[in-house]
Amino acid sequence: MLGASISTDPVKTTSYKVVLPFYAYASIAFFVATLLLFFSAPAFGRHYFHPHVIAITHTMALGWGTMVILGASHQLVPVLIEGKLFSNTLAYISFALAAVGIPLLVYAFYTFNMSWMARCGGELVIGAVVIYLINMGISMAKSKTENVHAVFVFTAGLWLLITTIVGLLLVYNFSIPLFSEDSLHYLSLHAHMGIIGWFLLLIIGVGSRLMPMFLISKYANAKLLWWVYILINMGLIAFVFMFLYAPPVYCYLLPVTAVTAALLLFGYYCRQAYRQRLRKQVDEQLKISVLSVVMMILPVILLIIMIIGLWVAGENARLVLAYGFTVFFGWITAIILGMTFKTLPFIIWNKVYHKKAGLGKTPNPKNLFSNRVFTGMAVLYLAGFVLFVTGILLSVVFVLQIGALLLLLAAGLYNFNVMKIILHKPVMP
Amino acid sequence: MNVITNSDIKSTIAMAALQNVIDPEIGLNVADLGLIYQIDFDEPGRKINTTMTLTTQFCPMGESIVDGVTQAMQQTFPGDTIQVDLTFNPPWSYDLISEEGRKFLNR
Repeated sequence: MLGASISTDPVKTTSYKVVLPFYAYASIAFFVATLLLFFSAPAFGRHYFHPHVIAITHTMALGWGTMVILGASHQLVPVLIEGKLFSNTLAYISFALAAVGIPLLVYAFYTFNMSWMARCGGELVIGAVVIYLINMGISMAKSKTENVHAVFVFTAGLWLLITTIVGLLLVYNFSIPLFSEDSLHYLSLHAHMGIIGWFLLLIIGVGSRLMPMFLISKYANAKLLWWVYILINMGLIAFVFMFLYAPPVYCYLLPVTAVTAALLLFGYYCRQAYRQRLRKQVDEQLKISVLSVVMMILPVILLIIMIIGLWVAGENARLVLAYGFTVFFGWITAIILGMTFKTLPFIIWNKVYHKKAGLGKTPNPKNLFSNRVFTGMAVLYLAGFVLFVTGILLSVVFVLQIGALLLLLAAGLYNFNVMKIILHKPVMP
Repeated sequence: MNVITNSDIKSTIAMAALQNVIDPEIGLNVADLGLIYQIDFDEPGRKINTTMTLTTQFCPMGESIVDGVTQAMQQTFPGDTIQVDLTFNPPWSYDLISEEGRKFLNR
């Protein structure tokens, strides 16, 4: 590169070293969660407040969903705000705290020991979230660009912080009576702040930017996204107040209607982005992610049935279990399975080939993983998911075990492809 | 591909070379994608100044694409000093994609 001079400053993005630990950790957590699911399948035929069910839920929510989203957002937030990530060091600290805290918490739940281990795990996770929020907040404050996507991401982070604080208080509530009721009573409050406030807001905030980018679509509609933002937050805040002041059960249909309306608007946004795309061919990874938008509807339907059921005949524990499963193993997992292979290969390609670009033919990022393994993973995942949900609803242990086995195999294939990408060595003539 | 230049012949050679620099996500080359705005050839000083953009600022693949453009220009015009400047004014838009690029995306 004799005499070459490049103004690289505006193109310096987050280092792959920041992002990779999150992805690697999340993929192992997914495998561990499906392994636990396989060995604890009979627990899913009982009540949802079971140590193994809580441990698996937190492995999925924190180890899998949150870790991969935290990692990806360190890479994607600079794209959303058109500015740099404030600090790589804070990202490493956030990772380290969560990486230690999550197994402590999961082990404590699995053994149902709510003493120092659960408390310490919860405090470390809160520390990780606080540092993540500081890093994101300063990055956004330094950026000149304000946009709806960044507001979604930051608000989602705030809801995650509230969720983890409530979670820790519930852990303490097992031994020190902090609340008027036992911790089980507050479980749905904690869960919905996480599911709607953290996962839904963040996925919509980032997805609404990435979907048109990947499809090369001209469609943009910030006004519609602001409506989605308002409906979700109003719905969630209304739910929190209703939970605390216990109105008649049918009142819960109000926040559900607000969130459903937001989902329908987001569905409309995705459809318009898809219809106005310049790129006609849509790859398998994006199809899985589009499928996950449709899969959002499944937990909403179960939630409405649950509320009507609660109103008419009281709580149905099987429906609650199926609802939680469709959220964590359905919607959230489907979007991550697709998006991993839309983001990770590019991060590694950038690391391996950026000095070789333009000098000859380099492999396509899509060739860094096996598409056959990806297809196998997708088939096993969908079959396992359907069987496991059926097993929960019918309370048949054998069906649960077969479903869990298929999900375990899907997680194995996912890990195979992730490792294949991470360990990729340069291939060039 | 309306590139501002002070040498049509050299610019055609440069743009042909830049067809080998592919945006890895879109799969389309930077020339047909409309990322190249201006190429100035300072013949006595043997200096080539390329002004380009990216589809989005802080694009995760931005560094690779800029490196690719620099290296392709260096390979095509050995011995010349290559400078690549990024600008986001005007920002890239879909209207900058060439007819060939649109055909490629429409496949």
